[in-house]
Amino acid sequence: MARLGMVIDLKRCVGCNSCTLSCKQENGTPAGMHYARVVTREVGSYPQTRRTFLPLLCNHCEDAPCEKACPTGATYIREDGIVMVAKEKCIGCRACAVSCPYMNRHFIEKGFLEHGYAGGELSPFEAVKFGAFEEGTMSKCTLCAHRVDEGLEPACVTTCPTEARIFGDWDEPEGKLQKLVRERNSWTLLPECKTRPKVFYLDA
Amino acid sequence: MATHGEIAIAPHRFAYGFYRQVWWNWLIGTAFFCGGLGAGLFLVSLATGEPAGMIAGWLLVTVGKNTAHLFYLGRPERFWRAAMRPDRSWIARGIWATGFFAVAGFLSFAPHVFGPAWQLSGAAGAAVQWVAAISALFIMFYDGFVMNSSGAIPFWNSALLPLLVLMYASLGGTTLSLLLRAVTGGGQEYMAWLGLQEKWLLGGNAALLGAYLYRMSRWQPAARETVRLLVRGRFAWAFVGLVLAIGLGTTLLLTFAAERFRSEALLPVIAACELTGDFTLLIVWLKSGLFSPQTAPHPLSTSSKQEPA
Repeated sequence: MARLGMVIDLKRCVGCNSCTLSCKQENGTPAGMHYARVVTREVGSYPQTRRTFLPLLCNHCEDAPCEKACPTGATYIREDGIVMVAKEKCIGCRACAVSCPYMNRHFIEKGFLEHGYAGGELSPFEAVKFGAFEEGTMSKCTLCAHRVDEGLEPACVTTCPTEARIFGDWDEPEGKLQKLVRERNSWTLLPECKTRPKVFYLDA
Repeated sequence: MATHGEIAIAPHRFAYGFYRQVWWNWLIGTAFFCGGLGAGLFLVSLATGEPAGMIAGWLLVTVGKNTAHLFYLGRPERFWRAAMRPDRSWIARGIWATGFFAVAGFLSFAPHVFGPAWQLSGAAGAAVQWVAAISALFIMFYDGFVMNSSGAIPFWNSALLPLLVLMYASLGGTTLSLLLRAVTGGGQEYMAWLGLQEKWLLGGNAALLGAYLYRMSRWQPAARETVRLLVRGRFAWAFVGLVLAIGLGTTLLLTFAAERFRSEALLPVIAACELTGDFTLLIVWLKSGLFSPQTAPHPLSTSSKQEPA
């Protein structure tokens, strides 16, 4: 079985947030909720300064702390390694949110789905997309499992204009993910948390 | 904006910096407070044969703690699902302990309330009291494991945390037990012993808090920043003022004063001070938790280089 994951090439990322927007469009997440986001940081001191960009998404960890913390079993790991939430089992205790060091869990507050982006009524798009969510439960990046199941890549990957996001299977020894991390200096976020993320980064 | 070295607390999730813990709020703090206090009071009262304390402690746990938890949950009607995985989750273990405590605790004080017909005889009665005592003890410390099992928030990720909540639950239980005895007039023979225990627990908790903060001030940057917030930052008024000065310092002084002047009139003030510190500690521990910043490793560091999954 596959172990799906991603490599993000920071040398290519220009911080355009296309991944953020395409994720929102694909998943129809409510206002303020971002499965994908880009953290911007200014480094150096004047006049030698520059901006760095760090695209973030759920790391779909092998030792997912959110899955371990979940008291109901609502958080589970699919056979292909994608970490999912069964919303019908979720009680909204937010133990997974507190245990995820990457802050990639999202709680849908009561009333969250009643207002659209404009603050008023839901648009037809939102009315359809918000049906996938349930108030009082947790939600998270699914690595676009609905697209992956149809043989497509996640929306953030297909949209990235610089092809900084590379999607693939870690179980393929000669696959593009393994090849990239062998050839370039690679790392994961917060390795001290020992979560064994399946999202790797390549140095800028 | 608060800073720690070059790192600030991020104002939003698109900015770099420490991220504040925003999910577990005052309702969780209230649940932890009621659970620890109630279980501590029950255990002290069970050990010293004081039915009023057993009933009050039982009510604090079964009504106070559980109500706060239910109000907090996003889907309270599914709360029973939280008991599904006691093999892995401290929350699930806590639910089982609370369930055992509700039944065994009730049967322990039932004869005092409903008459001798409820008295269990021999081994059954002793077994029920042991189950009540063990489950109460579990409720006193398991909140610490719920919090410290989260490796995401370095300030909570300490083996001292379960001990700290256990000590505070013992202190709260002792304080409330003293007050109840003064009010009801029961169990006066243990007043001196409980007063001594109160002073030792106050000293022990102060030492433990000191050790905790010392340890965290040498831990990961997020933990160090939390210590700064507690001692000098936005939570200093609550931690230094309410937890240390009122909850420990004033309580200790008043305890000595109550003993010196043999004044039970001070007991309500002592209880108010100590419980204020107890509750505030849990709230600031929850609110001051920070997540580590997510960033590329330092260019000169090779420690984060990882092999492919």
